[in-house]
Amino acid sequence: MDRFITVWCPDWPIAAAGVADRAAIVLRANRVVARSATAAADGVTIGQRRRDAQRCCPDAELVDHDPDRDARAFEPVARAVGAFAPRVEIVEPGWLHLGARGPARYFGGDRSVAAQVASAVAAVTPLPVGVGVADGRFAAGVAARRAGEGEPLIIPPAATPEFLAPLPVAWLHELAEIDAELVGLFARLGLRRLGDLAALDAGTVLARFGPPGARAHHLAGGADPRPPGGAAPPPALRSARAFDDPVDTAGPLVFVAKQLADELVAELADEGRVCTRLVVTAETDHGERSERAWYRASGLSAPAMVERVRWQLDGWLRDGDLTAGVVLLALAPDEVRGDDGDQLGLWGGRSAADERATRAVTRLSGLAGEQAVLVPAWRGGRLPAERYAWIPAGTTDLTDPDDTAERVRPGLEQPWPGRLPAPSPSVVLDQQRPAVLADAAGQPVRVSGRGELSAPPATLSVDGRPPIVVTAWAGPWPLEEQWWDPARQRRLARFQVVTADGVAHLVLAERRRWWVAAAYE
Amino acid sequence: MDPSAVAVVATPLSAAPLVADRTLPVHDALTPLLPDGALVRGRSVACTGVTATSLALALTATAAQSGAWLAVVDVGWLGVEAAAELGVPLERLVRVDTDPAAGRRRAGAWAELMAAVLDGFELVVTSVPAAAGPALVRRVHQRVQARGAVVVVVGETAAWSSDMTLRTLAATWEGVADGYGYLRARRVVLESSGRRVPRPRRAELWLPGPSAAVEIIPVPAPAGPVPVPSVLRPAG
Repeated sequence: MDRFITVWCPDWPIAAAGVADRAAIVLRANRVVARSATAAADGVTIGQRRRDAQRCCPDAELVDHDPDRDARAFEPVARAVGAFAPRVEIVEPGWLHLGARGPARYFGGDRSVAAQVASAVAAVTPLPVGVGVADGRFAAGVAARRAGEGEPLIIPPAATPEFLAPLPVAWLHELAEIDAELVGLFARLGLRRLGDLAALDAGTVLARFGPPGARAHHLAGGADPRPPGGAAPPPALRSARAFDDPVDTAGPLVFVAKQLADELVAELADEGRVCTRLVVTAETDHGERSERAWYRASGLSAPAMVERVRWQLDGWLRDGDLTAGVVLLALAPDEVRGDDGDQLGLWGGRSAADERATRAVTRLSGLAGEQAVLVPAWRGGRLPAERYAWIPAGTTDLTDPDDTAERVRPGLEQPWPGRLPAPSPSVVLDQQRPAVLADAAGQPVRVSGRGELSAPPATLSVDGRPPIVVTAWAGPWPLEEQWWDPARQRRLARFQVVTADGVAHLVLAERRRWWVAAAYE
Repeated sequence: MDPSAVAVVATPLSAAPLVADRTLPVHDALTPLLPDGALVRGRSVACTGVTATSLALALTATAAQSGAWLAVVDVGWLGVEAAAELGVPLERLVRVDTDPAAGRRRAGAWAELMAAVLDGFELVVTSVPAAAGPALVRRVHQRVQARGAVVVVVGETAAWSSDMTLRTLAATWEGVADGYGYLRARRVVLESSGRRVPRPRRAELWLPGPSAAVEIIPVPAPAGPVPVPSVLRPAG
């Protein structure tokens, strides 16, 4: 059973954004991803919605999550740790494993190598770092998180099951990416601690919960997640591309990486396997080399592989003092395991249509810009243009039912007296357009303060277009808003006007002029 | 036990529609207009006339209610509340606009957006830029067919030829008179025609009705202000 050292930098996105010294929150899709120590002290937790977090800590600085920035900032840490061991694997910025056996022998014991690693990382980043040493990546990861800012937590060999036994099963979801539904099921069945799960018979667990459950059972027992009795040898698969002309920008390399990753994932999928540890190698014409291992317990999908290639190359190309362009890019799956299919999220909530739509929204935001992809959000008001606003899709979590419910449904107890009843206009202008509502003599109709018209309207002309005959009209419905604020006050009268072409318009009389605000088309 | 025997090969989420049905449902009031009684995937419908926008929403509302996502491309004037009243679930509504500064490249930008939109959305309501060339339009058509989406075009454009066109023959608002009342409901007469409609079909319905949604008119109405024979065709 391999021993691993895990280095865990809590709230790494905060460190990467450089806001660790103040109250700050890093958000992605309206959820908290990381928070600074000050914000954490105020009660901000990871996974909270933005609004709840702001309620706990109102003057926290809000930062958008930028995984590329996190990866770039983590480069120095990865390099510092890489000096200790050849076998460094990054899971994500802020979290890495290294094989402990070799370094421990060299430095004389787990404790001294852990201390060395901790001080090497501390030299590069001032923030607290947790270091854990144990059998297997899962236990080492748990140890690192429990070590926190204190001394490295060393779990002696073969003491892993006792260490893990009292811990809640939620750790399986937190660290090993076991499906949340499955972990919830364990809890509901009374298996609240890892020890409870480990105490069951392996065959029973496999029969009842399938391969994902078997994997969880292995991890809970402190065993290697790979199948016992003959680990599948790493396949001799390697997707590589050599470039005739050296490339020195990340763009074309990432493009090629996408093709390589797709090939690799497809070949592995044909065998029913998924890659858990990927080694990405890039070499320049002059022999400079960047080689890094990336690990993910639930397996790397093609987009995940490409993302990691981008993280690795961005930092290297920028800071690596390279003297030549890249001529070789290779992706090699170093560890694979049987695919349980648990990545698909067979249970619960999101449908395939939801997934496809969210992916398309991300892609559209990239194509057209964040401000061009919008979703409706309820605001409330008396005029059609005020009732709903369009907000960028990236600022909300489109698949969270609570978030979307809050966003689109009118709130409770908000009847907005004075608004016109349904049906609402299907055409709403965000800027009202000048119009002329004229009487039979061609003179603009005037509305008095008491709502009396100078003459019945006979024609309507919008935006300077030819006037159309008015066949029916109703109003005025006066509106006076925010009279206490001289800058924002509005006094207007609303009319519904039907013209001969069958179109109905919402016409406003404001500041002695006529405007069209909406149409019922 | 050999674990590889129980390993399940993961099937990547394919881009093809998961629903095996070749059609998407529509409101009962609209079924008389459609030859298949429903929206056929891979086809486009044009809505023209004074009811274009609300008709486009009404057409897509039922399918969106059953889980499909609706994208609105370059229809910046869309009234959200009207959409909600017609039955469109706002949590599955996304709006995308081409860059207003795109100028002459607008048609290309629109086609690029449509390609990305069609990857993820089964329902699309859009207005086609006038400058869209035939090659561009053909590519978008092919994408629509490949993805099995339904595209509803608002307004008539020479560039885009739809499989079916819904024309407004008459539209009468009720509820407003000479300074009295307020808009309550609109009676419309629609005609569907096009290469997928062997014989033009007509239907008269409320759009919107007194409940602010689309409604069937219970009895054939007598001739309204525009003397058009109102005929309710049986579906199929």
